[in-house]
Amino acid sequence: MKKFLKNREINSFLFLTVLIFLVGLINQSFWKPETIINCFNDSVVFTFLSAGIAFVILTGEIDVSIGAVLGLSSAVGATLLRDGYGIGAAVSAAILVGALVGLVNGIGVAVLNIPSLIFTLGVNGVVRGIIYVYTKGAWVENLPADFTIFSNRFLAGNVTYFYGAALVIIVIGHLILTKTRKGKYFVAVGDNAAGATLVGIPADKTRIMAYVLCGVFASMAGIIYASRIGFITPTAGSGYEMKAIAACVLGGLSLTGGIGSLAGAAIGAVIMSSISRILVFLGFSSDYDNTITGFLLLTIVVINTTVQNRGALKNRHEILAAKTAGKGGQKA
Amino acid sequence: MKTSFFLKMKQILKKWEFVLFLVIVLEIVIFAGKNSKFLMPRVLFGSMNDIISICIISLFVTFVMITGGIDIQAGSIVGLSSIILGVAWQDGGVNIWAASLLAMAAAGVCGGVSGFFIAYCNVQPMVVTLGGSFLYTGIALLVSKLSATESYKGINGFPESFLKLSKFRLFGVIPSQVIIFLFLAVLAYFILHKTRYGRQVFLVGVNQNAAEYSGIHTKLIIMSTYVLSAVSASVAGIILTSYLGTAKSDIGATLTLPIITAVVLGGTLSTGGKGSVLGTALAAIAIGTLRFGLPLCFKVSQQYLDIPVGILLLVIIIGRALFGRPQFKTYLMKMKRIGRGN
Amino acid sequence: MIKHSEAVDQKLFTASGIIKTFGINSVLKGIDLSLGEGEVLALIGGNGAGKSTLMKIIMGIYQPDQGSVSIAGEKMTVFKPSSSLARGIYMVPQEPLLFPNMTVEENVLIGLGEKPGILKKRLKETMAEINWKLDLGRKAMSLSIAEQQLVELLRGLMRQARVLILDEPTSALTFDEVESLFKIVEDLKKKGIGIIYITHRLTEVFQIATHVAIMRDGVITLNGKISEFTREMLVKGLLPDDCKEAERQEAEELDYTGLMPVFELKNFSGYGFWDISLKIYPGEVLGVAGVVGAGRTELAVTVFGKDKVLSGTAVLDGKDVTGLSTREILKVGINYVPEDRRLNGLFAISDVAANMTSALITGKSMGKLFVNRKAEYEITSRYVNDFRIKITGLDQSAGSLSGGNQQKIVIGRSLATGPRLVILDEPTRGIDAAARKDVYGIIHKLKKLGVAVMLISSDMEEIVELSDRAVVVYQGRIRGELKKQEITQSGLMAASFGVGEGKQVEG
Repeated sequence: MKKFLKNREINSFLFLTVLIFLVGLINQSFWKPETIINCFNDSVVFTFLSAGIAFVILTGEIDVSIGAVLGLSSAVGATLLRDGYGIGAAVSAAILVGALVGLVNGIGVAVLNIPSLIFTLGVNGVVRGIIYVYTKGAWVENLPADFTIFSNRFLAGNVTYFYGAALVIIVIGHLILTKTRKGKYFVAVGDNAAGATLVGIPADKTRIMAYVLCGVFASMAGIIYASRIGFITPTAGSGYEMKAIAACVLGGLSLTGGIGSLAGAAIGAVIMSSISRILVFLGFSSDYDNTITGFLLLTIVVINTTVQNRGALKNRHEILAAKTAGKGGQKA
Repeated sequence: MKTSFFLKMKQILKKWEFVLFLVIVLEIVIFAGKNSKFLMPRVLFGSMNDIISICIISLFVTFVMITGGIDIQAGSIVGLSSIILGVAWQDGGVNIWAASLLAMAAAGVCGGVSGFFIAYCNVQPMVVTLGGSFLYTGIALLVSKLSATESYKGINGFPESFLKLSKFRLFGVIPSQVIIFLFLAVLAYFILHKTRYGRQVFLVGVNQNAAEYSGIHTKLIIMSTYVLSAVSASVAGIILTSYLGTAKSDIGATLTLPIITAVVLGGTLSTGGKGSVLGTALAAIAIGTLRFGLPLCFKVSQQYLDIPVGILLLVIIIGRALFGRPQFKTYLMKMKRIGRGN
Repeated sequence: MIKHSEAVDQKLFTASGIIKTFGINSVLKGIDLSLGEGEVLALIGGNGAGKSTLMKIIMGIYQPDQGSVSIAGEKMTVFKPSSSLARGIYMVPQEPLLFPNMTVEENVLIGLGEKPGILKKRLKETMAEINWKLDLGRKAMSLSIAEQQLVELLRGLMRQARVLILDEPTSALTFDEVESLFKIVEDLKKKGIGIIYITHRLTEVFQIATHVAIMRDGVITLNGKISEFTREMLVKGLLPDDCKEAERQEAEELDYTGLMPVFELKNFSGYGFWDISLKIYPGEVLGVAGVVGAGRTELAVTVFGKDKVLSGTAVLDGKDVTGLSTREILKVGINYVPEDRRLNGLFAISDVAANMTSALITGKSMGKLFVNRKAEYEITSRYVNDFRIKITGLDQSAGSLSGGNQQKIVIGRSLATGPRLVILDEPTRGIDAAARKDVYGIIHKLKKLGVAVMLISSDMEEIVELSDRAVVVYQGRIRGELKKQEITQSGLMAASFGVGEGKQVEG
């Protein structure tokens, strides 16, 4: 149990491995490398979304506006592409949108001290509305073919360029969070905000940074979404925020902050988006998808929280027992 | 304990509910001035169907948020109730009203399960109800598979008596949805503000520790609020099914955010301890009026309506955050003292 | 790394004429204090003496109204935690503020800018210097409280602290852990680091301190080299100047003949206290003295059903009430007025009436289904009048009242349930003199009604004034029971601080 708590992303990875192994036992065709790699390829949008929101969740906050940010940035990027702008311009514009919304969220939460769920909920409504204004309620279609086809370009084997990029970014982000001085601030703020301030960590700045990064990641997810789907509806990405949060929990992040990693979030995204594919290979209907996601989510958080609470109580009792002189006649 | 008319007026003017009331009046004046059709009862009441679910559920999600929790699974329970009702009636051969009760009972169990994890296992309400929203959406889909009817079509052909539930018009104008909403609002008002149970809901939200030291069964109270909000969601699901004439598993999918918006706009503190049924009801009506009036009078497309609602929410929470700051509070206190002359 | 060559009179730290006022409360009334290299200054004082305010000023969290703080001869101009940290001051708080999910190494090194390799080397060296071994890869949440404190110490040392503030470092340590902590303190002393050592335990003062200062009501009452003082002198310094033992109210002594105890604990043990036996009679006030953290609150909340009973029994009116839940305990007739009013007592944003009746709201006396407004009004106004609670109306929010009035409300609530035994935990902490007098009046009334009162207080004067009998709790155990005539402030104080005849001092 202790190990379980110690390295949650490794556990999520083991869970995924065992899952793949077991499914393969039942249906041999699942074991083909292409099938397994496709599980990863198909998770790429959620990988970006989950990794982005992981920054926010690690600091102990939440962001429910990322679905809308995905929608807006993909609409902005796709419109520019459709109108003949270069890929560089489109991507920069999309990322700028994400960063801006993230900054607004960060200021609302860190500076104005508004509960993050409530604030990002309001931002979600506004951003979703801006999508309609921007697109005039119409679909963004007729994207250049070389852009949409890019999602099927393979970097090596059948790993797409997009997933390759995701891998590189996740690895870099993971290393920054775990190895660099400032990167560790994110986890520190979520772990013990009071303690962080005491050792001189700028908690508010860290939170704002987390939201900006979250927005940027969501907009990258938006670009990939545009390329994969090929058209953007005004409701693109709605409900994705909940799935991204769920993926983070599956990947071992704690919504109370301070526990988890980017790698965990990425693995969680793969688990979550593979469930329906796995169901098909098992001969079930993919209708079980949500049921299983919900069941897994609840099981994981209930077990984690119970273990944590037990630990905290035990700790408190140990401290109290230590304060008691000559307890139980052990000492004179 | 002076209760002079003036003092009372002053208290009312200070209240948040009064601000919301003004917002509604303002909306009506503007909309009616722009397009007189807005005031036609048939048109006005006809708009009720679109927001009835939000209105009903937000009344009881208020309870949850007063205890300091949050409920983002209510939308999924709307769909679950609808499909249970439909399948039990069509494929189970159960009487339609018994099927409605069954749907409400099932919703109560769902709320109870989530509430149990939140209250007794101390898991964050946000995560549990997130998991719950997936689980109950999923179960709703599975229930729909039990039916002989294809799930995307929905279950139709309900008896006339059931459809009447939403077609009835009092005095030929006031739709039954309005009556049901008013009834539930009054019911919620009495439960929350007048009963011993409601008092305990508040006390738990203000200070859970102190409530425990007072001997209040805090965990049970917390769990019960989730049962209440789930049952209210099923009521909304039943009414919606009657109105649409179709039972579907996904009819509540987009309700979550508007519900929370209504509750927060209604003055409920997201940290718990403060809130009112009247505030939530007024906020829901204000949002509803906005969503109805803008397209009718200003030709704003339906889909843009998230913007004004979102802006309304943001302006209000930012305003409250700024006014609630300690610096600002001490400043206000000082001004008051100077005003009193000591 | 610290050279002793320069002038010895160069003080590491000097505070002079520090005055700090919060609103109308003057907390520090001109503090002069200094610390030299290699000195261990023991700072002793009761609750509310102003120790923590002084430390917060030194840490740069508060700014003094008047006076100055100099570090190594240099005057502090800005008061910010980061500038205090940069000047080499580090405080190890009583409850360590570590990052529970980070490793020991991450906890110590976080925020330090040097290269990881160099940092790690320096950490190893520092650990070797103080001769301390711990797996650097362990998560902070798996550490014992002693280990957590050592991690905090390491944090301070890695930040090249010249002045370390240790806030009651031994309060949660076992005997062996205290020994090893003392060894480390000795090492630090030799390295020329100055230490301010805040403690409640006088024995420790003589073990490790080179200097001692006693604070009381915002002033230093006694200050000097440890060799100039005896324990008795320190105890005396802790007592107020106007403490005249003779002036104690020699009011009617309780006649115990034929009385059966209302409440009895037999070898009662739980987390934070051990083997407690006591009796409380009707109309009697049993004083429970001791310092904060001695285990008295833990005893009270365990009786009240908030924590597990490990062994022993609690008996109320001959009925076994061991291990009942809080709801059941309230029903059988025990009520508890909590120590931390804000955290466990008050419904700050609720109105006075809701606060007063919160313990009755679960029962039928407040109405069957609906809240009986008449009953609520009657009960509330009765206590408001009886206790002279100053409010503008029953609908005023409790949080906007003064501390004294808040406390009266919480006491009123507990009495409204008609208890046989009331446990008052620090009932007059942080309230003004007038309200204190009123609370004492309430306690006298309770006595007349035959209610048994357990009075937990760190204010010895209060125990002397009100108690019919008193026990002293020291490190979770009862250290002597005193009859009314035997209760003196100095006796209580000595026992509370672990000084006493007969029994050997532990830990």
